[in-house]
Amino acid sequence: MRSEIIRIYKIVHTWTGILAGMALFIAFYAGAITAFKEPLARWASPPAATSMVPLEDAQSLITRTLTAHPEAARELRVNLRPSEQVTARVEWEIHDEDADEHDRLSARHYVATVDEEGAVRVDEAHPSRLAELIDVLHRVVGLPVDGDLSRSIMGVIATLYALALVSGVIVLLPSLVKDFFALRVGNNLKRMWLDAHNVVGVVSLPFHLVMAVTAAVFAFHDGIYFVQDKMIHDGKRSAAFQARSAPSGGEPRDPAAMLPPTELVARVEALSPTFEPTMLQYVQVTGPRAAVRVWGHDARSLSPRAQGGFAMVDPYSGRVVSTDYLPGRQDAPQTLLSSFFALHFGTYGGHPAKWVYFLLGLLGAWLFYSGNLLWIETRRRKASRRGQGEIPAQRRDTSLMASATVGVCLGSICGISLTIVAAKWLHGHVADLSAWHRYLYYAMFFGAIGWAFVRGGARAAVNLLWLAAALTVAIPLTTLLAWLFPSLGMWAHTSAAPLGVDATALAGALGFACLARATSRRVYEGPTDSVWSVRRPLPAVAGAEAAPDVERATG
Amino acid sequence: MSTTKGPDTIRRDWISKSLAGALLGFSLALGCSGLFARLASGMVMALKVQLTMWMVMPIWLAVLSGCFLFRSGKRAWLWLGVANLVVFGAFAATRLF
Repeated sequence: MRSEIIRIYKIVHTWTGILAGMALFIAFYAGAITAFKEPLARWASPPAATSMVPLEDAQSLITRTLTAHPEAARELRVNLRPSEQVTARVEWEIHDEDADEHDRLSARHYVATVDEEGAVRVDEAHPSRLAELIDVLHRVVGLPVDGDLSRSIMGVIATLYALALVSGVIVLLPSLVKDFFALRVGNNLKRMWLDAHNVVGVVSLPFHLVMAVTAAVFAFHDGIYFVQDKMIHDGKRSAAFQARSAPSGGEPRDPAAMLPPTELVARVEALSPTFEPTMLQYVQVTGPRAAVRVWGHDARSLSPRAQGGFAMVDPYSGRVVSTDYLPGRQDAPQTLLSSFFALHFGTYGGHPAKWVYFLLGLLGAWLFYSGNLLWIETRRRKASRRGQGEIPAQRRDTSLMASATVGVCLGSICGISLTIVAAKWLHGHVADLSAWHRYLYYAMFFGAIGWAFVRGGARAAVNLLWLAAALTVAIPLTTLLAWLFPSLGMWAHTSAAPLGVDATALAGALGFACLARATSRRVYEGPTDSVWSVRRPLPAVAGAEAAPDVERATG
Repeated sequence: MSTTKGPDTIRRDWISKSLAGALLGFSLALGCSGLFARLASGMVMALKVQLTMWMVMPIWLAVLSGCFLFRSGKRAWLWLGVANLVVFGAFAATRLF
C-alpha cells in the first residue's frame, strides 16, 4: 500500500510537473526580476526634462490642475520623493473604460508642471513600462494579455504547481533523511541532478507553498468572491467595500479648501515615526467621500501591499480616517491578511528579503528546468556498458521535450534581456515603446522555440545560452556606452539602484556564459547515447569515444 | 492496475479521484469558509470577507492533493461527500441560531 501510494504520487508529480513546469519557469524567472521592479524601472527611465515643482508649491498646482482637468479628480498622485522614475510632482492616469481593471499597461499617463510664466502645463507622458511588462509576464506565465482568461490559466498552472509540490514531498518522504543530506556528485549524473532537485525543492518548500497558494488566490479571487457573496454574505460583500469608495452625489467640493500635502504628511508621520511617506494618492477629492492615501514604507514592519502601505486621511479636515493599511498599525486580522501579500512580494525585510526572494525565484526556475531534464534523463536509451554495439536512437518524445524545454526556458531569458536592452536603444526612436517591448520579447521567445525545434535541443541549448549571455551583458554595456557617448541619446544613471541592475546583469551574463561553456562541452564531447549529444552515432564497432568533433566546426 | 484484491491494494481511478478532489474539494472549502464567516460574526465585515476568501484555496488545494490517498475513486466520493454534508449541515445550522 505504502509503495503503491508513492507510485501514484510519482505519476501525479511527473504529469503536473510536465504540464506546468515551463510556464512556471517563466513565472519564476520574470518574478525574480520583479523583486527588483523599482530599480529596473529607474534603470529604464530616461532623465527628466524638467525639475520637480517644489513641495511647497504643490497645493496650488493640485488646485489649478483639478480646475483645468476635472477628470484627474478621480485619482491623482503627488510624489514626495523624486527618483529617475519619479520625475513629476503631480501625475494621474486615465484608464480605458473597456480595459480590464487589473490592466495597468493600457492607461494614459499625464503630468502637471508649471511653465516659466507660472502657468500650469499638462502633458501626456510615456513612462517606461518595461518593469510593469516583466511583472505582467510573471503574473500570466508569459501569455500576451493580462486578462481574465490568462489569469484563469495562471490559476490552473498554480493548482498543478501545488499538486506537484505535495506529490514531490510525498514521493521523497520515505527517503528524505537519507537523500536530503546527500548530494551525490559523481558518475551517476542522473542521481546528482535528482539530489540537487530534491535539495532545492525541500529547502525552498515553504517559499514554494506560499507562492502556489497566493498565486492561485490572486488568479481566482474574483470568482471566489462572487460565489461567496451569493452563498455566504447574502450579497453584502460589495456593500462592505463600497462604503468607503463610492461617491453618493452632493455638491462638488472646492479642492482649494484642502490642507496642503505637507500638512497631510505631517498628520500621518505623527502616527508612526518609522513610516516614511513616498506618495499621496488623492481619491475623488471633489466628491463627498474625498480621501487621500498617504503611501509609504516602514522598514520595521511588513508591507500590506507590494508598493508599501498607506494611511487614509480626509484632505479637508486632516482627520486620519483609517490606519487599516498602515504598516505597524494594523490589528491582528489585518496583519494576517497583509502577511499573505508580504509573503508573496517579499516586502517584509527590506533589501535582504528582496535578495533572498530574487535568489529563491531563480532557484525555483532552476527547479522546473531540472525537473524537465530529469524527465528526459529517465527516458534515455543508454548504450550497452561495454562500449560495443550500436548507439541507440533516442525516443522521439524526449527529443521534442528537450527542444521545448530549451526553447521556452532559454527563449524567455533571452527575450527578457533583449527587451530590457531595448528600453534604452529604442527610446525616442519608436512611437510606442511599450508595444515594442512586447514585440521584441515575443519575437525572441517564439524565435528561440522555433530555433530549438529546428536545430534540436542540444545545439540550441548552446546557441541560446551564448545568446542569453550576450543579450544580458548588453544591459551593462549599453549603460557604459551611454556614459561614454552621450551623443547616442541614451542615459547612464549613476545612483545605486540602477547601477545594481547593471551589476546584477553582468553577474547573470557571466553565469550564462559558464552554463554555455559547460553545456557546449557536454553536447560536443559528452556521451553520445543521449538527446544532449550532437555527435552522430558512428556505425557499430568503430566505437563512440573516437568520434571527432566535426559537428563543432560545421554547426 | 493491480489484479490482486487484498486489503492492501489501492486503486488508481485517476478520473474519479481527481473529479472528487476538484469538485467536492471546492465545495468543501466553500463550506468551511462559510462556517468560518458565521462563527467569526464579531469581525469587521471588510476583514471577514477577505479572510473568508483566503481560506478557500488552501483547503481546496489540500483536498485536491490528498485525494489520491483514498483507496478508490468511490471511497473518495463517499468520504468527501460525507465531509461536505457535515460542513454544510453545520453551516445551515448556524442560520437557525
